[in-house]
Amino acid sequence: MLELHRLTKHFGGVRAVDGVDLIVNPGEVLGLIGPNGSGKSTTVNLICGLFPLTSGLIMFKGEDISALPPHERVTRGIARTFQNIRLFGQLTVWQNLWVAQNSAEQRRQNPVRRWFGGGGSAREDIGRTLEFFDLAHKRDELAGNLAFGEQRRLEFARAFAAKPVLLLLDEPAAGMNAEEIDQLDARIRTLRDTGMAILLIEHHVELVMSVADRIAVLNFGQKIAEGSPAEVQNNPLVREAYLGTATAA
Amino acid sequence: MDFYLGLAQIIGVHTLLGLSAYCVLLTGQVSLAQAGFFAIGAYVAGMLTVLAGWSLVPALLISALVSGAVACAVGFPALRVKGLMLVVATTAFGEAVRLFFFNFTYQIQAGNLKLGPHGGEGFRQIRYFPENGWSTLDVVIFIWIVVALVMAALWWLDRSRAGAVLRAVGEDELAAQSSGINITAVKVSAMTIGGLIAGIGGGIFAHYTTHIEHIQFGVVLATFAIAYPILGGLSNVFGTLLAVIFIQGFLIEGLRFMGDWRNLLFGGLIVLAMNIRPRGLLDAGTTRALKRLFSSGKEPSGA
Amino acid sequence: MAARRHCNRVYVPDSGFVVDYLDLIDAVQSVADGVLFGATYALLGIGFTLIFGVMHKINLSFAAASIGAAYVSLLILAGFKAPAILVFLTAALAGGVIGALVYLVGFKFIPLANPLATLMSTVGLLLLIDEIIVHSTDGVPLNYPALFSDVIIPAGPFNIRGDLVFVFVLGCVCMAVLLTLLYRTKLGLATRAVSQQPVASQLCGISITRVNLLTFVITGMVGGIAGAMTGAAIGMLSPLLSLPLTVKGLIVTVIGGLGSIPGAIIAGLVVGGLENFFQFFRGVTERDLYIMLLLFAFLVFKPGGLFATSAGRD
Repeated sequence: MLELHRLTKHFGGVRAVDGVDLIVNPGEVLGLIGPNGSGKSTTVNLICGLFPLTSGLIMFKGEDISALPPHERVTRGIARTFQNIRLFGQLTVWQNLWVAQNSAEQRRQNPVRRWFGGGGSAREDIGRTLEFFDLAHKRDELAGNLAFGEQRRLEFARAFAAKPVLLLLDEPAAGMNAEEIDQLDARIRTLRDTGMAILLIEHHVELVMSVADRIAVLNFGQKIAEGSPAEVQNNPLVREAYLGTATAA
Repeated sequence: MDFYLGLAQIIGVHTLLGLSAYCVLLTGQVSLAQAGFFAIGAYVAGMLTVLAGWSLVPALLISALVSGAVACAVGFPALRVKGLMLVVATTAFGEAVRLFFFNFTYQIQAGNLKLGPHGGEGFRQIRYFPENGWSTLDVVIFIWIVVALVMAALWWLDRSRAGAVLRAVGEDELAAQSSGINITAVKVSAMTIGGLIAGIGGGIFAHYTTHIEHIQFGVVLATFAIAYPILGGLSNVFGTLLAVIFIQGFLIEGLRFMGDWRNLLFGGLIVLAMNIRPRGLLDAGTTRALKRLFSSGKEPSGA
Repeated sequence: MAARRHCNRVYVPDSGFVVDYLDLIDAVQSVADGVLFGATYALLGIGFTLIFGVMHKINLSFAAASIGAAYVSLLILAGFKAPAILVFLTAALAGGVIGALVYLVGFKFIPLANPLATLMSTVGLLLLIDEIIVHSTDGVPLNYPALFSDVIIPAGPFNIRGDLVFVFVLGCVCMAVLLTLLYRTKLGLATRAVSQQPVASQLCGISITRVNLLTFVITGMVGGIAGAMTGAAIGMLSPLLSLPLTVKGLIVTVIGGLGSIPGAIIAGLVVGGLENFFQFFRGVTERDLYIMLLLFAFLVFKPGGLFATSAGRD
């Protein structure tokens, strides 16, 4: 579904992402891990188009999307969450989802009803999404007033509201307690089973090992390993990257 | 009585001006170009009724469209920049419009009078109201019907998805983009709506003052335009109305007895207000409290 | 007297005061005068740029405060018949004090998350300062002492006006002092640290409030000198000057590139020169129109300004 070919991004002299090849298939969770500063977040930002590429190619559903602006990538079915939560704090929970309804299908609605109507079918959709993310009771709360865990869930829900086929989750478990992480794990599985492709960046090793079908490891902007969780866990290069050369030797 | 009718006219027209800035501010953009759009509306509407002999309502519609079109055209280049750069860019545009009218002369001979804009002397004799027998009261009623319509339209916009999208862009452009919102389109649309409203306001202004000149549309007016919504708060349209009444009614007219000291108090009170209520007089919290008060115990419904 | 008339026409664009410019030798002379006077714009631009660089906020009251400081310096002149150089010093000191007051009243207590509120409070301060001036002078323009106004330096076919040269030299000295302060002292280091990494500098033990306050004092002093220079070059002071100077200062800031001091200097001189250039060829009523269009073109094609810095990137 998503194919990255020799994806490269330089910031001045820094090679943040350096020739990464990656494939994410439908109905698959790909874990993307690596030490801090290894280029994970930059990869996500490149996939959703926040920076222009230095070189390389991003193919999505067989189409080159490397030059598309961010909002059109969302329309084609790529949605994301942010590592540091970026909600619309002065909008209510339900409005946060309402503004994010930008899938191709949702865009085909009658524009007058879509922009100026009271919600209609959008309302039911949002209602179901809120149920799924256990936020229905907070519907009219301002997003900025939610507790931290709820804000994380709302970000996830907002990404889901655009009906994506590829979901980019940038450290969704950061700052969550064990119970919340279990719920997150279950949600990711449910979504995967509907055929959604998920790229999961996460530091929480247990979560990645449990939920990811495959794992790719980045270090200094390059992919150093890829495979099943077990394979990656036993890969000496990965240990070296995480623990440093001295300890590994 | 005439004094209060005159005041009602001023408040009505300035509310339109403030609302035009309100739309743009919702998307987080500070535009000092609103006085320019207001000027365009004033000159276009005045020329249509005086030189082309149109009646007022179609003239206002055309002036709104012209201002809106200019706002849209300006929006594309101007909204590429943000923050201070946008403030300066829009100031430059507003000033360019003002200076254009300073140098703009287009007059026709009508009997022994020359009609039409005349450069630095301005555009005199916009006598649509007296010629058609409108009393001051009629004018006031007309202005407030327009104000009510515009406020109702914006109120409804605020409740719609479009309004939520405007606010989303104002809060976090990056997140809005990543949620699939075309932020350029949204910002330019907001600017266009602002231009339309300022055009109507300017058109009415030209007709009730009967004499306009470039100096009226300077940086000061542009600053007032953004002052109303910022001072009133961006949580809903009534904040802007409240701020116009506060500034025009209370600070400018109400404190007249203080003579010279009034102007001193004016700047000071604005500074004080922003220190005490940085989110405006009528902020989201106050609005919610009021809602609760009026819905007498019922849960306030959002969205 | 000719000099004073000439400048009236330049700096109060809306007064409708038009004199024929046959007394100017030619366009070059006019542009050269403009460049010399551009030193004031450069100083104002530096002030806007510094405050923006450190606080990421716009202080719209800056030019008004500068004019206010120049007015204060007139008090000492009237009171003690002080020599003109002392008048300039007073202006700088007064500018520093006003700068501190502006920071305390308009910035200190407003939450950082509300940039609109700060913007509005500086507008309030602009109006307040203007009105204080009007109130205490009954709105009548006051004469300002010019230095070397009777000196005319002949250079080939041109005559260089002594007062403008003085203004220019003073402006250059100011800029040199400021640059030394910013790049050669610990205070300057702290200022630049805060402007680049506010949180990190706080963790390193730099008090942001103190750096902000100092920035306002320093820019205030620069502004005070700029205000006095304007007064000296025009030969008078009027509250009507503050709005046009605000606009010009902002234009210089943007053309120079936000946060760039060399940019502000060059842009100030360029804008000063172009102003007189357009005036010479198109007349006083159209002059500013072209400056505005130029600026607009700049923003469209080169939004970063002449010297784009990190401060102007967002």
